[in-house]
Amino acid sequence: MDPSANTSGLPQLARRSDASYLDFVEGFREYILGPGAAFEERLNAALVDAGSRRGREFRDPEDVRGFVQSTTLGPLRDRLARTQQEMKWHALWRSFDEQRGALEQGLADWQQRGPGALHLDPEFQVPAYLNVHFHLQPGGYYKDSLSGLLYHYGTKVFFRGGNDQDELHGALVRTVPLPTDGRVSRVLDMACSIGQSSTAFKRRFPDSEVWGIDYSAPMLRAAHRRAAMQGVDVNFKQALIEQTGFPDGHFDVSFAFIVFHELPLRIIEATVREAARVTRPGGVFGVYDFAGSGGMSPFQRYHRWFDARHNNEPYSQDFCDCDFDAILARYGFKVAAQTLDSRKGGAGYMSRWFATRAD
Amino acid sequence: MPTEPPDPRAQTPEGGTSISGPDPVYLRDPVLDATVRMLVELSAQLWVERERRLVLEQLLESRGVVARAALESFAPDAAQVEAIRTERNRFIEDVFKELRRIPVTGA
Repeated sequence: MDPSANTSGLPQLARRSDASYLDFVEGFREYILGPGAAFEERLNAALVDAGSRRGREFRDPEDVRGFVQSTTLGPLRDRLARTQQEMKWHALWRSFDEQRGALEQGLADWQQRGPGALHLDPEFQVPAYLNVHFHLQPGGYYKDSLSGLLYHYGTKVFFRGGNDQDELHGALVRTVPLPTDGRVSRVLDMACSIGQSSTAFKRRFPDSEVWGIDYSAPMLRAAHRRAAMQGVDVNFKQALIEQTGFPDGHFDVSFAFIVFHELPLRIIEATVREAARVTRPGGVFGVYDFAGSGGMSPFQRYHRWFDARHNNEPYSQDFCDCDFDAILARYGFKVAAQTLDSRKGGAGYMSRWFATRAD
Repeated sequence: MPTEPPDPRAQTPEGGTSISGPDPVYLRDPVLDATVRMLVELSAQLWVERERRLVLEQLLESRGVVARAALESFAPDAAQVEAIRTERNRFIEDVFKELRRIPVTGA
């Protein structure tokens, strides 16, 4: 661990022991979710074996749940998965809360500086459906003035060291195909959170105008601080992704990074409709999100069941079960590519969609 | 200035899957759940201490500041005793706060 590593705008923790504590959580998370404890490998093998013996594979979430929770290992795995998440937020929130005044002042100071501009709406009302403490983050994404900074450090632990320099965002943004005519002058990052994709887009298309939008003011303050610290010129605006306020056909590329699984189905539909409205004909809409449940292994189905209920992802199962390709097509998108992505958590959990707006 | 994080019970998801409350029990016996939590917490605290000691030992050794014998014979003054006691109490709270989460059930 190197607590001085701060090249991505990650705030410092209150003390060295907080950093080493969170470093433990990061390593422990890697251990219980990866090959160390091999929970997934062993439980999936047991599910496949039991399905084979009974002549019917485990697919239905409740069926899978019943089996996993009847084993010795399953409930212990669940206990540990929940515990590491609780430990992370407990330590992180306490460490930032101790420095609250200084951190809030830092956000306020950066709000006045460029490059890039921050557009907050003092009249903005957060809809009730977004009042969820996703991933058990205290206060969710918006109730704490430090929600953006908490999210930044929280996701650092979540990605188990693999995204400390925005490697994941950079790689995803580089794979987004160009519009049919190759022209990219405006980019929209929908639900940008702390703006990691937004800055990656500006780096890829330095002559373009990049907008990151999100409903959470604390996220946007952290996004602006981070982008300005890096000297990257991105505009951030407080808005709902289903109601962006931009003109028709305004963007050449629109992008949504792991947001759809955090929306009710009616908002998923409304968001795709809005993306189709603001993306110009021939433009590209890129999406990176949870994979559909159709291609999941039995254990991955269980993990989704668990994650929805015990990691506060109430909408994720509906998203995984929906026909997202059909929703994209319904609003005039032609799906150009769909690739099952791999990541540290294992192949099959994530997908990406590249959809082209019909001419 | 907040002294407690926002209340996790004040959430209003629209449909979808019901989310668990703040203290789900996974191991059928809350005492077992608490025991596992304490074990993981203790491991984290142990690592924090080990990491700090490793850093300290490296610094002391490389700078030639403190001999090993001086560490063994160190006698804290009253203020140092108080500071260590505060840290000790924080350590105990971190590991054993789980005891408060065990519900009172049964006769």
